[in-house]
This record gives sequence, structure tokens and C-alpha cells, in this order.
Amino acid sequence: MSEALAVRVRGLRRTFGDVVAVDAVDLDVRPGEMLTVLGPSGCGKTTVLRLIAGLDTPDAGTIEIGGRRVAGSGAVVPPERRRVGMVFQDVALFPHLSVHDNIGYGLRRDPAREVRIRELLELVDLPDAAERMPHQLSGGMQQRVAVARAMAPRPDVVLLDEPFSSLDAALRTQLRGDVREILRAAGAAAVFVTHDQDEALTLGDRMAVMVRGRVEQVAPPEVVYGEPATPFVATFVGTSNLVHGELRDGVAHTRFGQVQIVGEVRRQEGARGLVVLRPEHLDLREVPDGPADAGAWRVLRRRFTGTEILYEVAAADDARLWVEAGHAVRRLRVGDAVALRLREVETVMFPMTHGGLEAPRSLAQRRPDLPDAPDRFEVERVAEDEDHLAHADPAIAVDEGRDLRG
Amino acid sequence: MSVDARPRLPLRPFSRAARADAADTSRRAPWPLVGAGLFIAFLALLPLAYLVIRALGSESDVVGFLLRPRTVGAVAATLALGALVGAGTVALGVPIAWLTTRTDLPGKRAWAVLTLVPLALPSYVVGFAFLAFFGPRGSLQGLLAPLGVERLPSIGGLFGAVLVLTLVSFPYVALATRAALLRLDPAVEESARLLGDRRMTVFRRVTLPVLVPAIAAGALLAVLYALSDFGAVSLLQFDSLSRAIYMQYGASFDRSLAAALALVLVGLTVAITWGEARLRARAGTYAASTRRRPTVVRLGRWRWPSLAFLTLVVGLALVVPVGTVGWWLVRGLAQGEPLRLVIDVALDTFMVGAVAAVLAVILSVPVALLAARYRSRRSHFVESAAYAGYALPGIVVALAMVFLATRTLPVLYQTLALLVAVYAVRFMPQALGGLRSSLGTAGPRLEEAGRTLGDGPVRAFAMLTVPYLRPAIVGGAALVFLTVVKELPLALLLAPIGFETLATEIWDAASSGFYARAAGPASLLLLVSIGTVALLLRSEDRAR
Repeated sequence: MSEALAVRVRGLRRTFGDVVAVDAVDLDVRPGEMLTVLGPSGCGKTTVLRLIAGLDTPDAGTIEIGGRRVAGSGAVVPPERRRVGMVFQDVALFPHLSVHDNIGYGLRRDPAREVRIRELLELVDLPDAAERMPHQLSGGMQQRVAVARAMAPRPDVVLLDEPFSSLDAALRTQLRGDVREILRAAGAAAVFVTHDQDEALTLGDRMAVMVRGRVEQVAPPEVVYGEPATPFVATFVGTSNLVHGELRDGVAHTRFGQVQIVGEVRRQEGARGLVVLRPEHLDLREVPDGPADAGAWRVLRRRFTGTEILYEVAAADDARLWVEAGHAVRRLRVGDAVALRLREVETVMFPMTHGGLEAPRSLAQRRPDLPDAPDRFEVERVAEDEDHLAHADPAIAVDEGRDLRG
Repeated sequence: MSVDARPRLPLRPFSRAARADAADTSRRAPWPLVGAGLFIAFLALLPLAYLVIRALGSESDVVGFLLRPRTVGAVAATLALGALVGAGTVALGVPIAWLTTRTDLPGKRAWAVLTLVPLALPSYVVGFAFLAFFGPRGSLQGLLAPLGVERLPSIGGLFGAVLVLTLVSFPYVALATRAALLRLDPAVEESARLLGDRRMTVFRRVTLPVLVPAIAAGALLAVLYALSDFGAVSLLQFDSLSRAIYMQYGASFDRSLAAALALVLVGLTVAITWGEARLRARAGTYAASTRRRPTVVRLGRWRWPSLAFLTLVVGLALVVPVGTVGWWLVRGLAQGEPLRLVIDVALDTFMVGAVAAVLAVILSVPVALLAARYRSRRSHFVESAAYAGYALPGIVVALAMVFLATRTLPVLYQTLALLVAVYAVRFMPQALGGLRSSLGTAGPRLEEAGRTLGDGPVRAFAMLTVPYLRPAIVGGAALVFLTVVKELPLALLLAPIGFETLATEIWDAASSGFYARAAGPASLLLLVSIGTVALLLRSEDRAR
């Protein structure tokens, strides 16, 4: 690439006492790109942002902004000389300055200060609010002023630290789109930290998923969703069913049938592991309610999102799955018997390696009814011994050979 | 796209639909609250009203009296005293607040406490200690005598008065500034740095301006203290208005002239309060609810100058007075001064202080509610009236009440009831300040939640808001108690005959030159003051 990266982070590490907040983090932000950083609270994403801004100093690693080393290897560039703009979670407008002066704060030496302020007021659609004080503004207006203030000196990178988390959902969606347009139009690179996966998926040109101080995956949102790099990513982003499978000729055999596996893994003939099945990978069909059948699935609950219907279904052995049903399917009731079928899709598989595999406790760990509660995600180690696989957790017992009805 | 080629943006991405202005609906205050507020304002203004009547009804040439060089001189002296004490308290209080909240200063907590304690020291005790230490034939001269120092320059006059009053009132500024610093969201300062300012510039352009209202509020208290002070200025023989009024009262039978002088002082106070109220309106909007702690500033090579500065302040404000009083106490005990008497006087004094403190808190509640919840011209009047009452010099309030009582309510004249009531009304603003700002942060939502759960308005206030306000109430009551216990002029003029307080005991003894006899009650007062400070600190901790 001829042009320098907007931000280049390598081997970043920051500890607070015994707590490793950020560990071995590598990140690239390309010019004009918006990178979203998604992770549960406490995963270190805000610390990464503060390290880039220069508000905190890394214990190890390097940071470059626009090709210029700003931290690491002896370089210490103070925040005021990094040409970085930041929008804080708590807005943090200067309470003693008017909107006009807040936006103009970073333009002290700019001869075209007034023109620029007017331009930004127009941009954030507050043309008449110039002389108002921050406390006279609503939360959404305050956040827009904060965006304008950060953009005013034309920074190379804009950092946004969960800027909309204190706003209501409608306003958040609105501002999300607005901010994306503003940043795009200004051509500024941006790093947007959030714990809201909708925000990360819709806003990011690429997204990074962090957990416990580490970056698990950096990729465009579709790739993160379609080809999650780790079981954590699979369950944290979107709804996933993790089911046991075994690879043969690049195809995973599961209790629901066969599914194409993408990526390098498919070459590991005979490998066993966890296959990611999204709700839309499965199809469900109502069956006549007969006598109790070991192979039958029953509807446990139902979730209507407006664009789709998700059903959580349970087998007699208490295995649970989330399945998406099209509108064509007659509305099912809790307790209805259904048959499942795998659609023709490609997905990923996480083989059980000798190092062990971190696997979620149940099939459908990430519950769609708790979309904003990523903190509840827990993982536990599955026993390394493959012999224990079938007994490790009855809920994910591999159950090949069972004839799925339908 | 090139990073530098940023087009002008024709689009207006923020749609109007995104705007959701939470309009502040101004509510009407319930009438019992307004009634209580107005009654309290009436009580606070009663001495003032009496003074006006006296001054207007005077048969002397009031205008001519006010234009006398001596009167003009007293006004100028008072202005100078107020301005210098205000400046002095800011010069001491702001750096101390910053050093004890934001830096890696060794022993931060200890310094914070040590620089708070002087607030508790009565001005006349410090004045007396300074006279006895720095004075022409004081302890310092005694210490320096072997070096051939025969006589030190006088500590009295403007210099002495400013020094003493600054040293006892700078904690007002330090406390207010500390609180504002702790409330300031660190992200505000971080934003300024990211917008291109160095640390020092951020302090000048952001931190300081945000702190100004708090600093001004603290300084106003200090200035009001200085203007009202009677003990230190009279001991140090500085002719501020307060001393001039006393002299006028004592020197002639025409008390209307004293009343006229007092009115001049009231005028000064009103002007100051008005200016501060404008700033305060802004201050209320500056507080942020922040969870993060600010980053600690490394002092580096400024560490030793900082420590030297604090040592000097604490040395002058605390070590010199305590040391001098202690030295005289030891001397007095060696000469056989009786302690029994001191204890009796102490118990009487504490009783008066405690009753007045409780009463003051009760009085401050309606005023604080009006000022914080129901902003209107009327609320502003009630609050200003309370502060105006506080600003009246004690000697003048005493004068006014003596006359009012003898003329209209002789039954009350020279009773403890009158003394306590006057104390409560006069010192109520000390409870008011904290209560008002706590109410400002509590907001009406808490009570509204209670209302939806079936509470009546009174119950919701008592069960929800009052517990939230407890630190402010405890702090306010302690402050009033502390002030009453060390109050001098009102006790001198209003206490029943034969009823002595610690302050009047010290005053009598010190003005008669019996330093050893004054040292007993003085050291007790110092102990009580320090104990009250400890109480204040505990409630501050709990509030955090």
C-alpha cells in the first residue's frame, strides 16, 4: 500500500497491577476506514482507544498514526500532538463554553476558524445552537456537538468510545447513521468502540472482536459473521448453535446431516470439532404430534424480531437450538413438535486440537433474547481427551446416525 | 481518497427528528414552602430592617456623618480587607486543593486534613496567638533576643488582619475547589489535550474556568467572614467598619450613627452576593457525574517547593496558634489557673451551639428547597435574604437585637432563647450551602419515584431525599455548631448576665492581658474545633 496506514498498532500491551487489560494487540486502520471494536465490557477495548489517543502509555508495543511513530520504542508523542479526535462516552463538553466555543476550541490558530465552526454547525444540524451552553442541550444534541468538536481540527483519526451508549435506541440508530456519513464525507479514519454488536456490524467497514485483552478476529462484518475465527466470536456476534461434527472430504457430518466447511480446516480429514450453525442454516417444519419420540424436537420458545421468527427448540436429550423460520411457516406454539433440516450452506468448524478447545457450555450459548448482555457469555474448557467428547456435555453430544424426522 | 483532501460537506445528515429537547418545566413552589421561606427571610432581614428604621429616624446628620473622612476611611479599609482576604484565600486555597486532589504529593490525605483544620480556629484566638507570638514583645522576639533583636515590627493593622483572616478562612476556598475538582469529568480535560493543548494550557483554558464558580463561592464565604469579623480586627486594632461600628456604639448615645455605618457594610455585602449569585447559576451546570478518577500529575522537581508551601501555610495557620496557646496553657497551669471553671463554661457553650445547629438546619431546608428546586425571583430573594443576614456583622446584629428586644419584646431580652434563635437565623447559610448543592444534584426524580410508589410529597421528601442529603445536613450542622461555639460579639451583647461562653471568657481575659487565663478556654476551643473537623471529614468520606 502506497499510503501509510491511519493507525498501525503492533504488540500492544497494558497492565494495571495484576490485570492484563490489553495483550499482544495488533490493529490496522486504513485511511478513511471505520474500524469498529466490539467486545464485552472490561475486554480492554477502551484501553486500546486511550492508548492510541495518548491518554495512557503502553507497557509494550508500538503505535503509529499516519506512518508516524507515536508510542513505543522510545517514542512518546503527547496527545495534543497526535492529531487524533476523540468522542467520549460521557460527552465531556466544556461546561463553561458555548457550543460555538466548544467546537472552536481546537481551532485557536486557524485563520478560518469562524468559517469552520459554521460549517460544522451545519454539518451536525445545529445551525442555531451556536450560543447555547452545553447544559441547555439534550443528550443527542450534546453528542453531536462532541462529534463536531472532535472533527473541527480535521484530525487524521477520530476515536469514538461508545458515544451513543447513554442515548435511547431510536436516537442511537439515527446518530449512528449520521456519524457514519459525516466521517465518510470528511474522509477521516475512525475507530469506534462499542459493546453493541448491531452498532459494530452496521457501522464498521471492518470490525475487530476483543475479549480479555486480546483481539480474536479482524475482518469485514460479513466475514466475522459468516466465518467466525473462534468459538467466542461465533457466539458473541450473532446467534450461533455449536454442534459436534466430524470432517470427511471437507464436509462435516453432524446429527442434522452434512454441511460444507470453509477454510483451511476442511483439509483435516477425520477431525472432530464444533460446527457453527446459524439459525438461518436450519429449516424447520411442523410434524403431527405423535407419541413421544426420542428424535422429536419441540418448540421451547419463540422470538419475533420483525424481519424473522426465531424458535428455540429442544430435543428429548435436552439439546437446544435456535432456528430461523420464514414467514411462510405457520405460527408455531410452545410444545409443538417440529422436524429440523440443514439447508445447503457453508460454515466453519473449530476442530478439537491437542491444545484443547474453548467451547461454550450449551448448543445455543448466545441467546437472541439477550442481545445486549454479552457479559453473560461464559466459556468453559472441554476436556482435551477426545474420548470424553461424547460425555463432556450431554447437550452437545454428537448424535450422528440418528434419523432426523424430515 | 487522500487523507488531506476533505471536501466541504453539503449534506446535513442530522435530521430534525433526532432532536429531542428535554425542556425544563418550571414548577410552582407549594405555598407552605413559600410561606416558610418568606418567614425565614423576614427573620433574617429583621435586624437589617431595624437598622434602616433607626438610621432613617435619626435626628443626627447621617449623611454628613457618612462623609466624614473617618467613615470613608473605614469603608476603604473594609474594602481593602475584603479584597486582600479574598485574594489571599484564593492564592492559598486553589493550589492546596489542586495539590491534594490531582498530584502525587506525599501525604496528600494528611495535608488535606491539616489545611482544613484552620477553618475551625476562632479568628480572635489566632489573632491573640499572633500578637503573643509575632508581637513587639512576643514569643518570637523572645526567641530572637539572644541574636540581638530588641523589637519586632507591629503585627497589627491591615497586614495582621489580612494575614489572620486569610489563614482562618482559606479552607473555604480549598474545600469548594476540591469538591469541584473531584466532580470534574477527566474526559473534559482529555478532550482539550486531544484538541491540541498542552497540560498547562488545558489548566488555563479549561480546568480553571470550570473551577471559577466554586472558587468564587468559597472566596465569597471568606470575604463575608472577613467583613463580619469582629474579634481579630479589634484585637489587632484594625479599623474596619465592624470595629468602627463597635466604637461608635460604645462611644456615643446616638446609636443611629452605628446603624448608618452598618448599612454601608450591608450594601457592600449585597453587591458581593449579587456577583457571586450570577457565577453560582453557572456553577450548578458544571458538575458532571463521573465515575473515573483523573490521572495523577507527577510533581517531579516541583515536589519540594510544593511541600515547602504547604509546610509554611500549615505552620502559620496551625502550628503557631496551637503552639502559642499551648505554651500559655502550660504557663497558666504552672501558675495554678483553675480548670473547673472552664468545664462549666464549656458545657454551657456546647448546649447553645447544639440547639442552634439543629435549629439552623431546620431553617435551611425550606430555603435550600426553594433555591434548588423552584428557581424564581422569590426564591432568589429568600436566599439572598438569608445570605444578607449572614453577612451582617455580628456586632450589628447584636446591637439591633438588643434594641428590638428591649423595645418590643422585653421578655426575651437577655434570654438564652433569643441568643439561640439569633444564632440559628444568622448562621443558617452555613448549613444552606451544602444542602442546596446536594439538592441540586439529587434532583426531583428521586422523590417522583417515591410518589409513583405511593408516597405523599412530605413522606417522599423525608424518606428519599433526606437520607440522600444526610452528609450535607451533618456537615452543615457541624459547621453551624462550630461557628456558634466560637462566636464572640453576639455572646458578648446578648447572653444573659453572668452567662459566659468560651469565647467571652477568652475575650475578657485576653483583652485584660491575662493570656494565661485565656489559654485554658482557648485550648479547649481548639480541641473542639479539631474534633468538629474530624466529624466533617467522616461525613465527607461517607458521602463518597
